[in-house]
Amino acid sequence: MARFRLAIANKNYSSWSLRAWMAIREFDIDFDEEVIPLDTPNTKRLIAKHSGAGRLPVLHHGKITVWDSLAILEYLAEVFPDRGLWPKRLGARAAARAIANEMHSGFLALRNACPMNLRRGRKPLRDPLSDQARADIARIESLWKDCRKEYGKAGPFLFGRFTIADAMYAPVATRFDTYAIPVSRSSRDYMDTIFGTRAFSAWKSQALKEQWVIAADEVD
Amino acid sequence: MSELHLFIGNKCFSSWSLRPWVAMRQSRVPFEETIIRLRQPDTKANIRALARSEKLPCLHHGKTVIWESIAILEYIADLFPELKLWPQDRAARATARSISAEMHSGFQELRNEWDMNLRRKKSPKPLQGPARDQAMRIEDYWRRMRSTYGQGGPFLFGHFTAADAMFAPVVSRFDTYGGLLSPEARAYCDAILATDAMKQWYSEAAQEPWPEPSPDD
Repeated sequence: MARFRLAIANKNYSSWSLRAWMAIREFDIDFDEEVIPLDTPNTKRLIAKHSGAGRLPVLHHGKITVWDSLAILEYLAEVFPDRGLWPKRLGARAAARAIANEMHSGFLALRNACPMNLRRGRKPLRDPLSDQARADIARIESLWKDCRKEYGKAGPFLFGRFTIADAMYAPVATRFDTYAIPVSRSSRDYMDTIFGTRAFSAWKSQALKEQWVIAADEVD
Repeated sequence: MSELHLFIGNKCFSSWSLRPWVAMRQSRVPFEETIIRLRQPDTKANIRALARSEKLPCLHHGKTVIWESIAILEYIADLFPELKLWPQDRAARATARSISAEMHSGFQELRNEWDMNLRRKKSPKPLQGPARDQAMRIEDYWRRMRSTYGQGGPFLFGHFTAADAMFAPVVSRFDTYGGLLSPEARAYCDAILATDAMKQWYSEAAQEPWPEPSPDD
């Protein structure tokens, strides 16, 4: 099989990149990576070499190029049908896709107020969160709780074992942690499960070594 | 198999609802539908009570409740592989999913500038800045998909796929606001607008009794 090549952005800041990278790593798929730092004079040119969409992450596999985190994850699920990237049962898989897609296009208020920034240090935002951001947080906690209760008996992840749905929510788990957002005990347990994966630990330790600073994503 | 039941918003403007509806209708998947009127004080409560969901569109299949347009399309593709709702070729399928995912989370400025509104008179509304770039990228995708994968028919990947369903609302926006389109973009928009499913959606939208959205919005 052709080797996978994943182009991603800064590990400290790029929530979209974390999703694809974490899944590919956690499912033990061999790949080469190229990190393209965002917000530099060369960024646009370097990304354009990978994809016309002008966005990261991008996955190359032989002649195939896939962009957008969710499409990349669907592609890997297809290439490795035996590794359980999605839950096996039709109903659970449908639920996993629904919450993964809700994360993919939603929760903008929370995402804008609380950019992913792994080296920031754990402290609350100086300004209070908007009602909309608070509603996003409540919705995410309720999705986590429902999935854990309905599908999560066999393990500590949303659907028991680690799936794409967990990869999709990993960045938001870091935001809850970074900005010291008060969450329920069960949400905290779930966040710690994410942080305890080999893939996330590796990502974070590499992120902390990065020197690049993106001013717009540094929020007091 | 238990009945499929799709809950959607107003046909005049609910672009998210159009996607799974047009895919299921065009693929001749039998389903029941319930329309929940949007933008009303009791909309949220109605969606919760009827669709057992926070959002529309939402598909019920027995006890399974699926929301989010792409998740519904993937579910239908899973249930009925013979429909070929995604292209059969792996590279084509990967591209179809990439552009569909991009449509799902992107092109914000374009969507804000060109609200889907099936009541509005067709007349050009020029775009600037990021929205304009996004319109150009969409046209570029259409052109490239049609020339790379589209030999077998008039759609992005030849036959009608989930990717066409994902772009159907933006086709209506191009048709309403786009003015004179490039010949390729015009041909693709016409192919989508000429499907039985789109024609039915438009005619049912025209019969909606509610005042929203205003033709001038």
